[in-house]
Amino acid sequence: MTARRTSSGGLIERSRTIGFTFDGRSYTGHSGDTLASALVANGVTLVGRSFKYHRPRGIFTASVDEPNALVTILKDGVREPNIPATQIELFEGLEAESQNRFPSLEFDLGALNQLAGRLFSAGFYYKTFMGPVIGPLRGTRFWMICEHFIRRAAGLGRAGYKPDPARYERMNAFCDVLIVGAGPAGLMAAEAAMSSGKRVILAEQEPHLGGSARWSGEMIGGKAAADWSQDLARRIDASENVRILTRTTAWGYYDGNNIAALERVTDHLADAPKGAPRHRNWAIRADTVVLATGAFERPIVFPGNDRPGVMLAGATERYAREFGVLPGEKIALFTNNDSAYRAAAALRQFGATIMAIIDVRAKISPAARALAEEAGVEPLLGFAVTATVGRRLTKVLVRRFDAETERLSGDARPIEADCLAVSGGWSPAIHLASQAGRNPKWDEELCAFLPPEPTQAWAGAGAFTGAVTTAEALSTGRNAGLKAAGKKLSRAKLPEVTAPNLDIHPASVFEIKGNGKAFVDFQHDVTVEDVRLAHREGFVSVEHLKRYTTLGMATDQGKTSNVPGLAIMADARGLPIRDVGTTRFRPPFSPVSIGALAAEKYGHFKPDRLTPMHDWHVEHGARMMNVGLWHRPMIYGQPGETVEQAYTREAATVRRSVGIVDVSTLGKIAVKGPDAAVFLDRVYTNQFSTLPINKARYGLMLRKDGIALDDGTTWRLGEHDFLMTTTTANAGRVMQHLEYVLDVVWPDLKVHLTSVTDQWAGAALAGPNARKVLETCVAGSAVDNEALPFMGLVYGEIDRAPVLVCRLSFSGELAYEVYCGAGHGKHVWEALITAGEPHGIAPYGMEALGALRIEKGHVTGAEIDGRTTARDLYLDWMLSKKKPFIGSALMDRPGLIEKTRLRLVGVISLDGRPLGGGAHIVESGDLNELGESIGHITAFCYSPALAQYIGLALVKGGKELHGKRAYISDPLRKHFGPVQIVSHHFFDPEGKRMHG
Amino acid sequence: MLIPCPHCGPREVSEFSYQGDATRTCPELTSTDVKAWYDYVYNRPNPAGPHREYWQHSGGCRAHLIVTRDTRTHEIHDVAFARAALNRAGEQA
Amino acid sequence: MVERQSPLTPIFRPAVHSNDVGSISITLSEVTPLSIVEAACWPGLNERLTAAIQEVTGLSVDTTPNAGVVGRGTAAFSIGPDRYLVSGEEDLSARLARVLSEETGTVTDLSHGRTTFRVSGTRAEWVLSKLFAIDFSPAVFPVGEGRATAHHDIFAQIQRSDAAQFDLYVFRSFARAFWNTLCTAAEEVGYEVIEA
Repeated sequence: MTARRTSSGGLIERSRTIGFTFDGRSYTGHSGDTLASALVANGVTLVGRSFKYHRPRGIFTASVDEPNALVTILKDGVREPNIPATQIELFEGLEAESQNRFPSLEFDLGALNQLAGRLFSAGFYYKTFMGPVIGPLRGTRFWMICEHFIRRAAGLGRAGYKPDPARYERMNAFCDVLIVGAGPAGLMAAEAAMSSGKRVILAEQEPHLGGSARWSGEMIGGKAAADWSQDLARRIDASENVRILTRTTAWGYYDGNNIAALERVTDHLADAPKGAPRHRNWAIRADTVVLATGAFERPIVFPGNDRPGVMLAGATERYAREFGVLPGEKIALFTNNDSAYRAAAALRQFGATIMAIIDVRAKISPAARALAEEAGVEPLLGFAVTATVGRRLTKVLVRRFDAETERLSGDARPIEADCLAVSGGWSPAIHLASQAGRNPKWDEELCAFLPPEPTQAWAGAGAFTGAVTTAEALSTGRNAGLKAAGKKLSRAKLPEVTAPNLDIHPASVFEIKGNGKAFVDFQHDVTVEDVRLAHREGFVSVEHLKRYTTLGMATDQGKTSNVPGLAIMADARGLPIRDVGTTRFRPPFSPVSIGALAAEKYGHFKPDRLTPMHDWHVEHGARMMNVGLWHRPMIYGQPGETVEQAYTREAATVRRSVGIVDVSTLGKIAVKGPDAAVFLDRVYTNQFSTLPINKARYGLMLRKDGIALDDGTTWRLGEHDFLMTTTTANAGRVMQHLEYVLDVVWPDLKVHLTSVTDQWAGAALAGPNARKVLETCVAGSAVDNEALPFMGLVYGEIDRAPVLVCRLSFSGELAYEVYCGAGHGKHVWEALITAGEPHGIAPYGMEALGALRIEKGHVTGAEIDGRTTARDLYLDWMLSKKKPFIGSALMDRPGLIEKTRLRLVGVISLDGRPLGGGAHIVESGDLNELGESIGHITAFCYSPALAQYIGLALVKGGKELHGKRAYISDPLRKHFGPVQIVSHHFFDPEGKRMHG
Repeated sequence: MLIPCPHCGPREVSEFSYQGDATRTCPELTSTDVKAWYDYVYNRPNPAGPHREYWQHSGGCRAHLIVTRDTRTHEIHDVAFARAALNRAGEQA
Repeated sequence: MVERQSPLTPIFRPAVHSNDVGSISITLSEVTPLSIVEAACWPGLNERLTAAIQEVTGLSVDTTPNAGVVGRGTAAFSIGPDRYLVSGEEDLSARLARVLSEETGTVTDLSHGRTTFRVSGTRAEWVLSKLFAIDFSPAVFPVGEGRATAHHDIFAQIQRSDAAQFDLYVFRSFARAFWNTLCTAAEEVGYEVIEA
């Protein structure tokens, strides 16, 4: 039993004691406690320091609207800052820390900021730092210096540096009816909807169903409301067509009636079960949504209203009834409506002394008067709190107040109190509705915004609609549930509610003007004076007010501050609140962990795409690299080799004898149908209808605008059957391009496209001994020059696996591509390696592949970069003049054929240093007068064939510069040196070797 | 945003690829009318309101759809298979 | 003929991975139909295509979107307008091509190109719902029907092959990544990896 724990009552399990620490001190609480209720029970009233002024702050609410009591949780060595203590369920060993204080919560150096209060008023940063540069202390440069210190001083919790070991998940769900909120209205809606047999999801952000029924002290259906709600919750849980999600906050309402909801699956557990995600981000698609999100109590703004010990009245009642905790021993209440009276009676019933009920109204309802009597106090009607006293609240000062004129009069009278419970009325929680509706409507009676007209399929129930009593909650809840489930409204009797007949329509009093700081937005330290300053400086629209003062922009989204802020602006402007309007609430309703948004995409974000030979590469020492999603061997390094030595050796082996490279990643598209040849003639710049069966042809595609798109070889397997290959990088893009023109441009063509990239494993065998290797392993077909000429293809078998062998060359050597079913890929690869062993066959990776192609001047995506044309790459010979094709109409536009275009050349380094990709090329050798760039390097390597560093480049003028000397300028890599511009066909320009 | 694919049913927009304005038609490949080509490739209206667009259900059935979408509200008024619709239009013309 | 190697070869191990409370709610396996084929027809010829599928496999598939049917060791389902995925015995592609004239449509063999995972058990819908934004409930996705969808970069064609069983056809190159994703998602409910 702790000082503030009541002797009985509450829904906590008193027999189960739980140990936890706060700022390193050990405390105990009970199962069912939140960190906030346990701290209150232990008499801890100071829990944090405020954002700007480092003012001491205490727990202010009992739920998600908490602006002050943000703490950092340390779990599994990971820091998670800015969690409201009101939303943390206690578990054994919980470690929490207060925030934004140094060196300690009790003694905080940052509190000196309070002395400089004027400095931190609205717009302080803009005025001080972002202004014109006048003198040394102005301008953005000064901001750069100060930002570091300011950011450290102002702020919330500190994030940790360690990776978060927790798992997060996404979950997709579909239902007929989603009910958000499981208070009395939500429970009734769920019961009504489930009886229809429809699929229902009931989402509740708290750990238990019941909402206000858990702490209202009312009777429903002849039972204590808490028992009634538990019984109903059990019945709903037993229904097969209802899924109950507790600890689940619906945080966003999106198009198509999609609701995003965050389920905190393991936060309340000391140890997460195996495989369980910490948070699950639900994407719920509902035919109809019932919003039963209840209402938030809001404070009255008065000087000193942020002192630890000041708390919302509903929260004090909830702490008493649900948690068996009293937030004070001597409690005063300050209200503009009846709801605080019920709190007063409850607090008294649980053992607190009620020091006063201070009510701005002159008259109260008989029910309120009766409750005041129960609380043992005569209410001070027509009074207001004008100040608070004490480091932790010790007393409040009250004065006479006229609610009509809002004038104070008479002397300040002190009232002793260690807790002040405040009620400024109730605002429906319209946040989700605001995301899926028109503008909220101001209600003069309730002094609150009511839900807007829906723009999506939702209906409201309970306090969310402005229906204030539990009886109304039951009826609106049942109606909404029935309606959402498509059923007729019921005339059956509703459970009877026994509750005091309170009038919670407040007096229209939002602010008590007086001396001293009065806070509107606790979390962002926005004061009444800030709002009035915004008004004086012309930031009068609510949108400007919000951005200028940051009112409502903290992590609590202004749940307690929105309406008071608008009311103060309305007062300053002399307008009714309805004319001031409100801002739209954006998602998320409450903070969502980044992990939950990333869900299962942790670590590296993309799936690994592996070729059939992947394991062979890894087993044989390949260093793998990512090419898009694919993993491909970069080099097969031998001990002691550098990357350059490895690829030089590999490439030299290809030129000397034979090498083999995995080309399974090339995009492959089956193009089939009676119009296949016609289709290819239209999409390729060159002709394919003339290609004989069992022959391949190199093809080039342009975009509609005449720019080069992709290249590759396409093989004719049958009259109406082609196998197209694309570059690895463009496989998806080309497929989509072809599907588009087939569906949209020529829908009449009979052609089917199927991605067969994964169907075929491919290995390119290159080098003067390539044929000899094939001769020893291919069965079922000859592979000599006659049977398999350049660009020919044959079918055969390698070690019993069917293969397709096509003779084509990327390396410039005598070369073949061997294709087989992917499931045979490793088998065939190993057979080829075995057959190549007598010739010293070398597997080669991307680096050697690159070096070989650069030596030959073959282009890839580095040159087909989305800016170059066929002419730029000297591929004009591929542009058919006999037929039109995609891109032919626009490829000869003036801008695409002018002389100054960047065109393909070769470059040789003259200083013996490697070239760098992206390095610029200049004509001047004078470092001080470089002149303009005439182009850039697209690819580079050490050429084993030329024994020089070479590269490909795009330069102005292209061919005309052959033989010229130029310079590369590569300041990033600190390289400036002479180069020779040459033909991009460095090696064997006549192509004798591949035809050999 | 959900797009009701006529084959797959309503699916999240992340399964689809935007494939451009559907109010333009590609000139005949043989056409050398550069103006017509410019209009087709570059000139786009940018209406605030209902707009005909191509969307490919690339993460689903791969079909191209003609989607009439209100650019202000994402409300979708009509969806049809592009190939079937264009073939019908071609037959009528 | 050489046996087809599974992309899971080095990582596939039959084993029990029960969850914290010792239960196992789903089984995961790789099924290896001898043939996987995409059969497609020209617009308006759906009935001729489904007739061809029936002639070869004995499966009677509706021409409605998403339709499908499961037989003994063979299955067929719609994966797009005028397109079906058919799985079954050896040489399915050649046999389909024989009965499907060029005037009707085309057949493409994908036996090596797709890997088929089977997810079965009471929590199969739950686990798959973590990965795919489609409704797996039996009322909406009855036995036999197919869906074409994607988990981020990984395309998947899914058939409900039994009341609590789904067959997922994914690109072979993604198979290992997807298998790992599937196992991770299943850990919470407990799973067993079995030989099909």
